[in-house]
Amino acid sequence: MTRYAVTAENIWKEYHIKRPFEGQGSSLKEVLNHPVNWLTRRNQNPAVLKANEPFWALKGVSFQVEHGESIGLIGRNGAGKSTLLKIISRITRPSVGKLTLYEHVNSLLEIGTGFNGELSGRDNIYLNGSFLGMKYKEIKNRFDEIVAFSEIEEFIDTPVKYYSSGMYVRLAFSVAVHLTPELLLLDEVLAVGDAGFQAKSQQKMKELIRSGATILFVSHNSTAVKDICKRAIWLDHGSLKMDGPSAEVVEAYLQTVTAH
Amino acid sequence: MAEAMTPIVVVPKRGLELPDLHEVWEFKDLLFFLIKRDLKVRFQQTFIGVLWIVLQPLIQMLIFFVIFGIFVRVPTDGIPYPVFYLSGYVVWQLFLQIVNSSATSLLGNIGIITKIYFPRLTLPLSTAIGALIDFLISFSVLMVFLLANNYPITARYILLPFLVLLTMVFSEGVGLLFGALMVVFRDTKNLLGFILQIWMFITPIMYTISIVPEQYKIFFYLNPLTGFIGAYRWIFLGTDSLPTVEYFVVSSLVAVAFLIVGMIAFRSMENKIADVM
Repeated sequence: MTRYAVTAENIWKEYHIKRPFEGQGSSLKEVLNHPVNWLTRRNQNPAVLKANEPFWALKGVSFQVEHGESIGLIGRNGAGKSTLLKIISRITRPSVGKLTLYEHVNSLLEIGTGFNGELSGRDNIYLNGSFLGMKYKEIKNRFDEIVAFSEIEEFIDTPVKYYSSGMYVRLAFSVAVHLTPELLLLDEVLAVGDAGFQAKSQQKMKELIRSGATILFVSHNSTAVKDICKRAIWLDHGSLKMDGPSAEVVEAYLQTVTAH
Repeated sequence: MAEAMTPIVVVPKRGLELPDLHEVWEFKDLLFFLIKRDLKVRFQQTFIGVLWIVLQPLIQMLIFFVIFGIFVRVPTDGIPYPVFYLSGYVVWQLFLQIVNSSATSLLGNIGIITKIYFPRLTLPLSTAIGALIDFLISFSVLMVFLLANNYPITARYILLPFLVLLTMVFSEGVGLLFGALMVVFRDTKNLLGFILQIWMFITPIMYTISIVPEQYKIFFYLNPLTGFIGAYRWIFLGTDSLPTVEYFVVSSLVAVAFLIVGMIAFRSMENKIADVM
């Protein structure tokens, strides 16, 4: 068994901002009316042509994460942090490069990841657990702990669409951390939630780290990053700018930010 | 959790890829959960739910029986019209349900698809199993009619499971194809509705293939359901209007082609979906 949890080798990710005939709002009607245009991806509108230029969200990002490491992922908005987490979560694939996972990944990428609004909190716990590859029994064993941590006992059987955003994220976070993550990815989700919950969740993350989980954690809260994570990676416009002890990296990053 | 897992490698897409069935099996708990949930929701209005599955083919059959069995008198090779119609219609219903539910299962769950990883194929598969369960119920209704009209269970019934499997696999292929299209092109839903309507008419459900002139029969057999329904009727009704082996093979090949195209389209969509939504 290797000592690595994740290795990223030269990851590049390209996005087309808007491809004609694909994505939301495109229609078969367009394709059928303009078959030649579709085949050659030609479009008269210069604004669309411009927007169709490729945008590189990640450029040659490489790093290795060992089992049990805790890493903060920092950078300006649009630096590529979420994109990187999406690739590690296997929701999207890199355009170039190779990522290897040696641990099972749990991720909390947006508030309410994997929740179905129509179902109750209880059902969503089981649903989420299944998505994370857990067996029914395993989820059942953890059920009470999850509910207790999220502090929504009274509402556990109400459909999730009625939850407030705070309840939502508390449940989502509770599910993510309790379903025995090996590699846990968190994307700026701890920002929502009151101070009490933030303290509790940071505490929980430290517990997880002590028990050997690997954590990759995107946050704009530099104090939390320094506190929880030993190491930090700074992404800037898609490139890996700095990778080292969290205190150093955070300081360097903050300097560039406050310089403006 | 303690055992080491096989490393997963995430790389850019290379060429054509087929969906990974092995992974779907790894996530089988999820599959069962989705099926259970689907059934729970549908049968929660228990009385209406189960009744509807039974009523719908019966009402259809009644209307068609009156119009095509009594007024128009469509030739059915001597078979009583209700039985003739139902034996084709339950198959059509299976196909229709799998196609519709699989095609919409992806777009309907676009929220979770873009946020968490799981083998996407699990979604249309879970709806296909749900459709199979409905089929079993309408099939029981058909059995009642068959037995009441002196069409007993024969040795031919042994082939039934394979035929059902073949039908399901084909329907799933069509469902995957349209499901993939629907995710990328929103107006596919309208197109699909239209296509399915036409499809129903070119399939010999309310009429028998023998009314089609010989030289045009091949076109009808390009529709896999024609070959399949002919085989179903051969099993249920003991008719010797089993499509000749050649015609059945044609139908099966087209079915396989649909399956492959469907899986490729699905895989292609799966890779891009998080990027374009």
